[in-house]
Amino acid sequence: MCTTVLGTVISLLAAVPAFAQEGAEGAQHAPSNLLSINGGLMFWTLVIFVVLMFVLAKFAFKPITAAVEAREKALEDAIAAARRDREEAAALLAEHRKLVEQAHANAQQLIVEARSAGEKVRAEIVERAHQEQRQILERARAEIQGERDRAIVQLRREAVELAVRGASKVIEKNLDNDTNRRLVESFLATLTPAIQS
Amino acid sequence: MKLRTIALALLLALSPAAAHRAVAQEASHPQPSQVRVGPHGEHLVGAQAGPVDIVTPHITDSHALELPFVGEVELPRWTPVRIGGVAIDLSPTKHVVMLLVAAVLCVLVLVPAARAHVRHTQQAGAPKGFANGIEAMVLYLRNEVILPNVGPHGNAYVPFALSLFFFILFANLLGLIPYGSTATGNISVTAMLAIITFVVVEISGMRTQGLGYLRTIFYIPPKEVPLPLKPVLFVIMSIVELIGKFTKPFALAIRLFANMTAGHVVLLALISLIFTFGSYFVAPVPIAMAVASSLLEIFVGFLQAYIFTLLSCVFIGLIREGGH
Repeated sequence: MCTTVLGTVISLLAAVPAFAQEGAEGAQHAPSNLLSINGGLMFWTLVIFVVLMFVLAKFAFKPITAAVEAREKALEDAIAAARRDREEAAALLAEHRKLVEQAHANAQQLIVEARSAGEKVRAEIVERAHQEQRQILERARAEIQGERDRAIVQLRREAVELAVRGASKVIEKNLDNDTNRRLVESFLATLTPAIQS
Repeated sequence: MKLRTIALALLLALSPAAAHRAVAQEASHPQPSQVRVGPHGEHLVGAQAGPVDIVTPHITDSHALELPFVGEVELPRWTPVRIGGVAIDLSPTKHVVMLLVAAVLCVLVLVPAARAHVRHTQQAGAPKGFANGIEAMVLYLRNEVILPNVGPHGNAYVPFALSLFFFILFANLLGLIPYGSTATGNISVTAMLAIITFVVVEISGMRTQGLGYLRTIFYIPPKEVPLPLKPVLFVIMSIVELIGKFTKPFALAIRLFANMTAGHVVLLALISLIFTFGSYFVAPVPIAMAVASSLLEIFVGFLQAYIFTLLSCVFIGLIREGGH
């Protein structure tokens, strides 16, 4: 670029005189002609522009461009890093999701198992309770039966005792009275069904 | 701009010369005793003395500088430098001063902005404020205008095109502030800028294409063309190519010059309406219109700087592309 500009300067400096003659003449005679060419002005334009360009290129555009390029690079790096991070995060997320799903499935299975086990235990307990109840009932019934039988026997004995005592009383009055004995016997016979029932 | 137009109106209204001219215009019967001087120094009398040109002196170059509170300052006149029988008048004119002011403004605006930009970037990672605005312009021109048009490895042309843009922009805008003058409304300035662009274009063509650069001047007919037609085509098309080479910078120079001049002619013509009507009651209308067209001029100042830069880059890109 520098050589390009240098070439420009040299060739233009060589060319300026050609424009100048016409310009100088034009400037003197017709100052208000819009299209008159002024060689001096052209020369100054060239000098000012070229100097300005070198100054700006060195002190303004170079630092700005360098800073901007550095920032662009930093941005690109940051974008690449962000993309990488995002991909990693996505992979991690997928993995986590899978893990959580597995955990869910496990938990579900555990719950099902626990529920069935619980059910079984409950059924067993209920079964056992029923059984015990039946046993208790049977025992109670048997005891009641036994007690009743004993009571009947005792009652019979008591009745016999009473009868014997009654009889002895009668006998004391009329010993060997057959008729009396029969009377007692028949009395006892009437009592029996009442006790048995 | 408002200030400028009002100042202009006041200046024209208050300065004795303007008043004199206005009175002379108002008078339907020009006095024979009034002697007017024409552009070529001859004396004009009678009907010829009627219209007075206040527009042209305002937009053309001169050896005097208008300064606030000081008035007109005559610039030094140096004896023309003679190089081999050719005289160049190197004395500074108003437009030379304006170009210098534009260049100094460019440096004063861009270099501190660049410094601040670098400082902000180092401190905070990103520029802020004015430096950020300058960066936005520089980056836009670099990434959207210069690099895509210049083509691959166009980084070397970025400083040239950016300088072109900011220099033309400041020169354009200087014409819109009071006491300023549009140096880019002078054909000499735009011609020189166009010539610089032309030389940059041609040299970049030579550098990228080597010997192939000759093909941008001399047309080589394709194989399908019958043999007897080849020399004819060669001559005609070579002339066309050569003309095309010079048309581009010529159009650049004329475009910038005409756009800058036209805006100021319109502005001055609008202000002149006040004197044409010769009444204070008319003044608000032309002033409002002048303010509007001043606003338009700001836009045109940016636009023309942009177009000059864009087209320069397009021409560089075109000639570099030819080799690939």
